[in-house]
This record gives sequence, C-alpha cells and structure tokens, in this order.
Amino acid sequence: MTPLALSQILGSAAFGLLAVSLAAQAVFLLRRRGGLDPFSHYPLAAAAAALLAVTVERSIRIRFPAVTNTFESLVFFAGAAALVLFLHRWIARRLLSPWVQFGGTVTVLALLAVASSPIAPRELLPPVPALQSYWLVLHVSLTFLGESFFIVGFVSALLYLVSKNEAEKTRLERLTYTAIGIGYPMFTAGALIFGAVWAQTAWGSYWSWDPKETWALATWLVYTAFLHSRLAPRLRGRVSAILSVAGFVFALFTFFGVNYLLPGLHSYR
Amino acid sequence: MRTLYRLFKSVKLAVGSILILAVLCLLSTLIPQGLDPAHYLNRYPQPLGRLIVALGFHDFFRSPGFSIPCLLFAVNLSVCAASRCFGRLRRGLRLRLGPDLIHAGLLVVIAGALVSARLRWERTFFLAPGDPPAELPGGCTLRLLDYRQDRYPDGRPKEWVSIVSVQARGGTLIGSYPIRVNHPLRLPRLKIHQTSIQREDTALLLGPDGGLSAIHRGQYFEWRGAILVFAGIENGEAVFERRQGRARPAVHRLSVSQRIGAYRLVGLSSRELSGLTAVRDPGFIPAAAGLALVAAGLGLAFVQKKGDDRP
Repeated sequence: MTPLALSQILGSAAFGLLAVSLAAQAVFLLRRRGGLDPFSHYPLAAAAAALLAVTVERSIRIRFPAVTNTFESLVFFAGAAALVLFLHRWIARRLLSPWVQFGGTVTVLALLAVASSPIAPRELLPPVPALQSYWLVLHVSLTFLGESFFIVGFVSALLYLVSKNEAEKTRLERLTYTAIGIGYPMFTAGALIFGAVWAQTAWGSYWSWDPKETWALATWLVYTAFLHSRLAPRLRGRVSAILSVAGFVFALFTFFGVNYLLPGLHSYR
Repeated sequence: MRTLYRLFKSVKLAVGSILILAVLCLLSTLIPQGLDPAHYLNRYPQPLGRLIVALGFHDFFRSPGFSIPCLLFAVNLSVCAASRCFGRLRRGLRLRLGPDLIHAGLLVVIAGALVSARLRWERTFFLAPGDPPAELPGGCTLRLLDYRQDRYPDGRPKEWVSIVSVQARGGTLIGSYPIRVNHPLRLPRLKIHQTSIQREDTALLLGPDGGLSAIHRGQYFEWRGAILVFAGIENGEAVFERRQGRARPAVHRLSVSQRIGAYRLVGLSSRELSGLTAVRDPGFIPAAAGLALVAAGLGLAFVQKKGDDRP
C-alpha cells in the first residue's frame, strides 16, 4: 500500500466516523431525550486520531511537520477540532449541550469537505525555503488549536442567541466563555506571537500589515472585546455572544477568504 | 479631570476602542496600501479617490485615522491597568498579575512598534557573485562570494544559500558567512536576510549611431510615440512589449540580429541574482519583550482563573 493511499484511507475513515457520530447525535436529538448521548464521542475521538495520523504520515513523507499548505492545514484543523470536541464531552460534559456537540461535529465535517474539494490540492509537496521553520509549525498548530476552541465558542454563542430558556442560556454563556478562555491564549501565542517571531526571522519584519496579519489582528481584537465585554454587565450576554460569533466568522475569513480574495504574503494555496 | 479619568477607565470605552480598531483594520484591507496617490485617483471614482487620499487610507497604518484610535486605546489600556492595580492594592486584595502583565506587555509592544515605525531601516540588494559590494550603514560593505539554489525534483526551490563577506570601513574583513532563508546573518545592530531571488535578463542593443546599450528586464525606451518594454528572455528570444495608448500591448519576440525600433539586438544574457535584505530595527527588542510579557501574562491569567474556578 502506498503512503498516499494510506492517508486517503485514513482521511475517508475519519469522514465516515464523523458521519456515524453525527448520525448518532441526530437520532438522539430527534428522540428528544435531552442530555448527551452515550456513544457519539467515541467515533469522534477515532476520527480525531485518524486525522492526526494523516498529519503524522504526511510529515514523515515530507520530513517536515505537514501544516504547510491549505489541505494539510485543514486536515490538522479538523483533527484538532474533533479532539477538542471530544475533550469537551469528556471533561466538561456538565456544560456541553448535545446541540453544541452536534454543531461542532457539523463544522468539523464541513472543514473536511473543504479539504476534499478542488480548492485544497492534496499533492504531497515538501515546503519551499520560507516555510522551513519550526516557528511556522508553532504558528500554524497553535493558531488552529485556538480556533478549534473557538468553534465550540461559536456554536454555543449561536445557540445562546436563539435560546429562550434562561438556565440553558447561563450554561451556554459559561461554555462560550470557557472555550474562548482556553482558545484565546493559544490563538494569541500562535497567530500573533509566533507569527511575528517567524516573520522577523524570515523577512526581518515582525509585522507587515499584510491582509492576513491584519485580519488575524482583527479576529484577536474581536475576541479581546468579547473577554472584556463580560466585565460590563450591560454588554454581558447578548453582545458577548454576538462578538463570539463575529470572532469566528473573522477567523474563518482570515483562513479562507484572505487566501483567495486578498493578495499578500500569505496568499498560498 | 475626574470625568476624563472615569471615561478612560471604562470597560465600555475599552470594548468600543478595540472594536473601532478592528473595523478600521479590516477596512484598510479592502484598499491596496502604500501606492502612489495618483493610482487611487485613477482607479476609483474621483470623489472616492480624493476621499481615500485625503483621509490617508492609502497609507492607513501611518495615518492619523489609525494613530488616533491607537493612542485612545493605549491611554485607555494604561488607565484601566493602573486603576485596577491601585484599586486592588487599596482594598488589600492580591494583585492579578496575569491581566496586568498582558496590559503592560501590550503597551510595550505598542512602544516597540512606534520605535520601529520611526527608526526601522531596510534595504534589499540584488547581487550576483563578483558584483561590486553593497554599502551597509556604518560604513560596512557586503559582497556576495557565492550563491547556490537547490531545487526539488519538480523544480520548486528547496534551499537558497548566499555566502557573503562583510568588510568594515577601511577594508578589514569582519567575516564570511552563509545566509539561508530563516537563518539571517546577525551583525551588530543589523541583520541580513535571504529574502528572494531574481533573474536578471539583459539585452544588448546596437543603436543607429553605432553605440551599444544594455537594457535589463523591466526597462524601456520610446520609439515613434510607443513605449517598448523589455519583458525578458524566453526560449532564447528577447520579448518586448509595445505599448501605445490604451491598446493592449503587442508582444514582439526577437532573435539576435533582428531589429526592434531604431536598434538591432546584438546579444542576450541572463544571470541569477540573490535578494538580500539588510534590516536595522531598534523596535524589535522592545516589541519582542512586550510579546513575551503578553505570553507570560496569558499563561498566568489562565492558571489564576483555573485556581479561582476550583471549588
């Protein structure tokens, strides 16, 4: 079996496992039993393991951590997001609602669907000189780990905005804050700090106001505003939830939109 | 004064100024930055082009439209951080060092960025082995001794290495070093980065007066109201673009000894140049120290928050 075939099998297996997890969650939600189902997080964990195995396998093949193009980044992002969902289910099950897990799983599936589309070519290519830096690996991996937590914050904030039940809203608000509270330091370290250090090493300029950098900064500012909005009683709640949703939309645009719509140093594909 | 203090320590102002900065940053990405003002007047409808130039949106991050909200944010951040610290001390509470470190770190980053904006110096040199040395600040010179480009089997670049020598004023050799992408040469107060590569195509033209002139890729000359741009060498032929008015450029491919305008092409040559960028940035160290403070503050805030949440 060729290694490319192996990663294709692992990727397809991950897709199948996510679909099984999603189906199990949907069935449980339709039965209106309330609470989390006892099964769906196992295929979710297995999907995370399969996706991270794809990253490891490709890394061995190119002799460098495989996070240097859109396909590899999406696979890593989807794997990290599935792992974060599983960890929420495992560690914070009192806060996690079945709808948040369902929304999170849909987002992970959507990321994988984009990874398998033609906009993310999957050729196995070793990195060009500028990408051969371990600062880049820290930059990309921590950014996506942070954004994986933002997925949970995004889904729970959306549910907060549509929920009418006060107890449920309190729980969702707490979950949004917890997820963003963990994701924010990772995103800050990855997107801004390690990104700046890498840019300084590669180009001699730690900040160039390139569209990707500017959008990443705007994303960080929106999440910073989210964290501060919780300190003002009038902003806490609805405004915080809107900021959490906006932050994730900005994060997605920073990743996809800037690559394809705004030319700059980061416009790789 | 008290009203001003109350305004600046308000969390609502903090959220507002953060969001204003975010929105302004995003708007700036919709307009190409740093081009000549004439470009905006030509590209956009006249009133919009004039507005962009008048508001400084064409060079947004150096304009008052950006620096004033930044200043507001910095003042708000300082007042909030100081008021929080003193408030906790007055009430005999333990300091929350995490958020304070983050705020202090951000102020140091802003200070570093201001120093960079004022004092950063950068110049890119395109050199080939044997070229005359490039002048660096402080009287040093940089000479390219050798240049190597490794490629993957599919032709993509794998590694670029420039071997350079640096000489102090008076000709004393400081040393010779390899420079790779991501591995800059560190000199006192100066770093030299391997940032790019460039192919220099040259066409040798014989004029009607019998004089020889060399033209490099991107250079042009005028002939009978048209502009003839030398676009480079392709498959052993010189490629010229003839531009006249708003018409699409016509492409002419010439072999040696053929005529273009009033000239005859008598020779073609091509060579690889190494793009080396020399940077002196006194703002980087404070900015890096600020980022380290932010990182430490985030870690500490996370640990403190986790401790608070414990029953």
